[in-house]
Amino acid sequence: MIELNTLTYLFMAVAGIISLIATYLAVLENDLVKAVIFSALQSTVYTILFYLLMAPDIALVYIPVAVGLYPAVILFLIKKTERTESDLKEGRGGSK
Amino acid sequence: MRVKRLLVLGSLIVLVLTLSLAFTNGALGYYPLPLPGVRLLASWYLYTTLNPWYPMFTVMSPEAVTAIVWDYRGLDTLFETAVFFLAIVGALALMRGVSLKSVLNNGGDKDKGGLSLICKTATRLLTPLIIAVSASIALHGHLTPGGGFQGGSAAAVAPLLVLVIFSVYFLLSKGVSEKPMLILRTAGLLGIYLTALVAVLAGLLTGLNAYVFQNQPKSSAPIGLPAQVSNTLISGSLFFFNVFEYLAVAGGFTLVFILLSIPEEIAKSFISGESHE
Repeated sequence: MIELNTLTYLFMAVAGIISLIATYLAVLENDLVKAVIFSALQSTVYTILFYLLMAPDIALVYIPVAVGLYPAVILFLIKKTERTESDLKEGRGGSK
Repeated sequence: MRVKRLLVLGSLIVLVLTLSLAFTNGALGYYPLPLPGVRLLASWYLYTTLNPWYPMFTVMSPEAVTAIVWDYRGLDTLFETAVFFLAIVGALALMRGVSLKSVLNNGGDKDKGGLSLICKTATRLLTPLIIAVSASIALHGHLTPGGGFQGGSAAAVAPLLVLVIFSVYFLLSKGVSEKPMLILRTAGLLGIYLTALVAVLAGLLTGLNAYVFQNQPKSSAPIGLPAQVSNTLISGSLFFFNVFEYLAVAGGFTLVFILLSIPEEIAKSFISGESHE
């Protein structure tokens, strides 16, 4: 039987690793819409971390702001500019 | 860009390793999780937050976080609210004079555009649920985790969904346009200021001593807001602060999203038309 504290630590570690991977993908993604989705995934995992760290008030405000409102603002901005990073696109063509 | 990829990965790994090293060596104390016991300051807040036998210090709210946000440290929250609304004033100033009402009246089709019928039906079902959940977060803010800002930002997701899945014209045709949202936001702010000043106003009328942001009666200021209304706990000013903050935040966020969703050409035509006059 695993102790409850150990289980919480384990869950937090897994959530942290998922958020790290999501951050890495968001930074390197050329398609900005996909980058926003990865960023929202990272925020979702952060919500779990806030809940496990016993901050339900922050978790409640983090879900609508970081998963709903913030990606929406960024998506509105992306709609007004280019969807992909064009200078990176040329670089990717060279490396492949 | 293999070099960039390696740089990003390397810097992330170094960040994680440095933070883990710091934490294992006691950067947050030796307990990364919250301690099983509570610190002295926290135990003081927990002892006084709902304690009718200690009337000079209590807030009469079982939710210590909301009690700290709107009572113990109420002035901080007031200025936070002011900063948030100055940002919205900035957005309003940038888009001054731009109105979608005239576009809606000549040519803007409310049923055109948007996503598929499945998305629209799901949104029709979800929107009332989101509003209900957000209202319960705000109205129970003095009893359970939650509060005005949490509820208000959750409520703002509902018009945002309608904006994205239907269209901005659909939202405007339902009466959710700039002016009602501005009125909602202003009413919320006025309510917050009145709730902060109500004890002082009552004190001026009765000639008793009272403070700005006073909630429960204090030893030198006997005026206070009622902690209960017909046997239901409302925790004095906390309930009113939560309700008004809920209205103000929901109205403010919706206003910004309506302004952001105005198509570029329409905004440009308004701004350039204004300069020619």
